[in-house]
Amino acid sequence: MEYSVAATGLRKTFGSGPSEVVALDDVSLSLVPGTVSALLGPSGAGKSTLVKALGLVSLPEAGKIVFEGQTVVRDGVALTDLGRLRRLHLGFVFQKANLVSFLTARENVEVACELGGRTDGRQRARELLEYLDVRHRESAFPETLSGGEQQRVAIARALANEPSLILADEPTAALDSVRSRAVMELLRRVAHERGAAVLVVTHDHRALDVFDVLHEMEDGRLARRH
Amino acid sequence: MNLAFKDVRRHVARYLGTAAGVGLLLTVVVAMQGIYAGMVDDAILLTRAMRADLWVVQRETRGPFAESSKLDPSIEARAAAVPGVRAARAYTYQLIQRDHRGSVLRIALVGIGWPDDTGSGLPLIRGRAIAQPHGEIIVDASLGLEVGDTLELARESYRVVGLTRNALTSGGDSVAFLTLADSLLVAADQPPEALALERQRVAERIRHTDLGRGQPALEDLALDPAWRAPAVSSPPVAAVLVNVDPHRIEEVRGTLSRWGDVSVYSQAEEEQLLLSGVVERARMQIGLFTIILTLTATVIVMMVIYNLTLEKTHDLAILKLMGAPAARLLGLVVQEAWLLGGLGYAFAFTLGSVAYPMFPRRVVITDTISYAAPMVTLAVVSLASLLGLWHVQRVDPGRALEG
Repeated sequence: MEYSVAATGLRKTFGSGPSEVVALDDVSLSLVPGTVSALLGPSGAGKSTLVKALGLVSLPEAGKIVFEGQTVVRDGVALTDLGRLRRLHLGFVFQKANLVSFLTARENVEVACELGGRTDGRQRARELLEYLDVRHRESAFPETLSGGEQQRVAIARALANEPSLILADEPTAALDSVRSRAVMELLRRVAHERGAAVLVVTHDHRALDVFDVLHEMEDGRLARRH
Repeated sequence: MNLAFKDVRRHVARYLGTAAGVGLLLTVVVAMQGIYAGMVDDAILLTRAMRADLWVVQRETRGPFAESSKLDPSIEARAAAVPGVRAARAYTYQLIQRDHRGSVLRIALVGIGWPDDTGSGLPLIRGRAIAQPHGEIIVDASLGLEVGDTLELARESYRVVGLTRNALTSGGDSVAFLTLADSLLVAADQPPEALALERQRVAERIRHTDLGRGQPALEDLALDPAWRAPAVSSPPVAAVLVNVDPHRIEEVRGTLSRWGDVSVYSQAEEEQLLLSGVVERARMQIGLFTIILTLTATVIVMMVIYNLTLEKTHDLAILKLMGAPAARLLGLVVQEAWLLGGLGYAFAFTLGSVAYPMFPRRVVITDTISYAAPMVTLAVVSLASLLGLWHVQRVDPGRALEG
């Protein structure tokens, strides 16, 4: 099976000596294109650390990350230009304040298109905002958007360069239950229609039926897979 | 998409306010240089307006501007008799301060050798040159007088017949030109009580001499208020200005230099004496002040840019996480710094064009200042952006994931 991303034996620690905390302890995880996966677990379980590792932001000290068949990180060493990989193949959705504050909704998407080397940034941004039903707010700045609108724009931005992997870190944390479910369903739609692998870190157990796969973390280990 | 422009657009009011602050600093920096240039210009203009080939001053002095110089008036005639001399004219220079219509006028009085010199070579903007030997004066417009106004000096009325522009001393005092005879009158002006006492002293001296005893009428003459000459000796002049046949300047200079009571300077040397003496200290003062002010501006702009960058930390982290190349984010900071400098310079330029003419000292924006100011501004804001650039480099993209 072809994976969007496959991580094997990831280990990440913070601190040293008696105060050392193992955030990731031999974690292995594979994400399949066109599926939406949930990453569950209590606070401090290592979910965000795993997202940062898979997002090529904070590299694990040990283990391997394979991206679309190419090994990009091995034992804490980057084997390729990770910035370029993030630009072209990764999309991020965060829990709040995740849009560039001085850019409008459309420009937030457009800049992602530009960074990915697209020349049709404005048109592409409008299409994505239309797709996510937030086109009417394209000229608004983030601070004037509602939480739900911000997340729609963030998802549009994450889709800008047709990424093979979308990482969403508690994207519904700041939303009420109705909007929260809407966002989750949107991410599922994106995964299924656009063929991206989507990993969502969430505490929200009300919308678990949306996900294709559930991963649960505990004390830095991937405990269960449903 | 230009991120710097987008950021400025979002915070345009605050950005313009910051640029205005930078502009005010630049206005002061440029003003300091302009004031110095004005001092140099004033000093040179005053000496050049006299159109002399040689300046004859008191022996071993650097007068009349750098220090006091007193010459016997007879030197004018002696110099005129030297072969090769076309004309020699006495020159007086004195600073006076007078009340005039409720305000205080501080004037540098320059006596010119009328009728050879009528002041026609001065930078007149209104009126005419001096046309009669007594009672007319040309003043600088900065005194606030108009043609036709009268000025009371030494109990005499002087009518303003001409106005000059920018005839100022290196100290910033307005210059007024009148005939040499009138300037000597002003120099010799004493209150009536002082004149009466002086006459009594002369009469007393005459009374005890053989001449006085032999000619009693001399004593009466000494006490006569209409007979002023013996009571007040001829006041000295500050310098004698000499015009020479062009090919005989060195010859005449050699002749005059051999006189034991004078020193001789060329026009260029006189300018240099003024610049190196009176203006040099001001130059150093202003230079140091300008350096301190420029460093202050650099530090302030640096902190402003650093704070603007700090406020964008989260946005920068998001952009880094999205894979924005470092050069693009560094460009954001540098372009904002340049824009800040550009707006600040435009503000300073506009404010300066309004404010500088109102300064008590003349502010001259020379070509050098015009070219250097934007370059210095560019250098200052570029240097000031270093701290911001350092911060951009340090921003961890992982911060964006922390919400």
